[in-house]
Amino acid sequence: MKNNLTPDTPRAENRVQNDCRAVISVQHLGKTFGDNVVLKDIDFDVFSGDVTCIIGPSGSGKSTLLRCINLFEEPTCGKILFHGGDITQTKHPDRYRQKVGMVFQSFNLFDNLNVLSNCTLGPRKVLKMSKSDAEQLAMRNLAAVGMSAYVKAKPRQLSGGQKQRVAIARALCMSPEVLLFDEPTSALDPEMVGEVLNVMRSLAQQGLTMIIVTHEMSFAREVSTRVVFMDDGVIVEQGAPEDIFNRPSEQRTREFLARVL
Amino acid sequence: MIAILTKYYYDILVGVGYTMLVAVIGTLVGLLIGILIGIYRTLPLPKNKFLRVLKRAGDYLLRAYIEVFRGTPMMVQAMVIFWGFALLNGGRTLNVTVSGLIIVSINTGAYMAEIVRGGIISIDKGQFEGCHAIGLTHSQTMFNVVMPQALRNILPSVTNEFIVNIKDTSVLNVIGFTELFFVAKDIVLDTFKTFETYLLAAIVYFILTFGISLLLRLVERKMDGNKNFRILGSQNLDAESFAREARSEK
Repeated sequence: MKNNLTPDTPRAENRVQNDCRAVISVQHLGKTFGDNVVLKDIDFDVFSGDVTCIIGPSGSGKSTLLRCINLFEEPTCGKILFHGGDITQTKHPDRYRQKVGMVFQSFNLFDNLNVLSNCTLGPRKVLKMSKSDAEQLAMRNLAAVGMSAYVKAKPRQLSGGQKQRVAIARALCMSPEVLLFDEPTSALDPEMVGEVLNVMRSLAQQGLTMIIVTHEMSFAREVSTRVVFMDDGVIVEQGAPEDIFNRPSEQRTREFLARVL
Repeated sequence: MIAILTKYYYDILVGVGYTMLVAVIGTLVGLLIGILIGIYRTLPLPKNKFLRVLKRAGDYLLRAYIEVFRGTPMMVQAMVIFWGFALLNGGRTLNVTVSGLIIVSINTGAYMAEIVRGGIISIDKGQFEGCHAIGLTHSQTMFNVVMPQALRNILPSVTNEFIVNIKDTSVLNVIGFTELFFVAKDIVLDTFKTFETYLLAAIVYFILTFGISLLLRLVERKMDGNKNFRILGSQNLDAESFAREARSEK
């Protein structure tokens, strides 16, 4: 695969050495919808192999933050550095998104295509793979999520958990550097949550860099390497999962965890 | 009525032929116009200021086309275009069949433009985001995911337009186009059997429209594909055994 994503600005020089290794570095990010301030001065880094879980109450801006990282929302201010280059001003968000995939709460599988074509569309059209190469790649990823028996099915014939597993396989087919998950289990029956979390767990074990917005606290505690707690558009606290969950230093984090745990 | 049919079957067939020619081509060309306009009007606004102004100007022009051709009777449009052409060409009129095709096409195009646009904006935003999330561009998104779904969804409306066109070609007799209604009028002048002739015409029109209706329902079912799917062998096939499965299925 050709790397044709050229950073639009040179690496920020005032950053400490350490930060240059960050795959994604969000700096002073702000987002407003009209008068409504959704994100304020968001700052955090994601390193290769990190599994970052973003937790917090509904309406705290978690999903908006994730959508900013994927450029689905245009940040009002601040920067998002990808390997040191600011991508908020890029003219080719599609090239950036080849490397930073996304899994949605509502799956967003292509309703007109079967499971296999859902997975081969990106590799064929974006990565210009041959049909047979793309199909082999798709089959490998569908096998990884346990969905290879359903290649011929259309999305409407699948259950929610199955759809989400296909959506993960579809994202994996682009061999992304980072995969974003926007509440991937929130639209699922309790029974189906497990199968999707299992897939995500195994991806984490394989060292895929992931940013996950989730309400599954036990999953976040078990799988993540970093936890970010957000409330009211700001990052209240971030750190290792055992610190956030066992020894939260902020009152607001304690209150939130007391409600959901 | 049987007597009319046996005596004038050839003229009736010619009338049916011309009616269907204009209806089929007019609907298809109209649909094509509609698809192009629908796609243009749902383009995301460009960031570049100049292009943005250009895009907006295009939108207004297309709006004007749609409103004018939806807002005036096709019979009047036929007269204006047919005689307008003659005026500009020193009295030489355009071939009547060609005129009919042009008039029905651009008239249908105005309706189709709105039908297609409705079809596109009714597609869930998630479909667009799903495409963008794997790096597809807007045109790749439209071509591979959005338009196939939009076209499927608007097929009932396209059928409507098709049927309207079969019936409405009858207004083209004002420019002397020999379609089914024109033939019926001629037969009446010959035989003075007004009721029987027009009843026959009605029956023939109905057979045509009902036939098209059934045909396009078939197309709809074809597009929906099979309700069932086969779960391949085991839960976890590797690529090779999948290929084998796929081959053996053929």
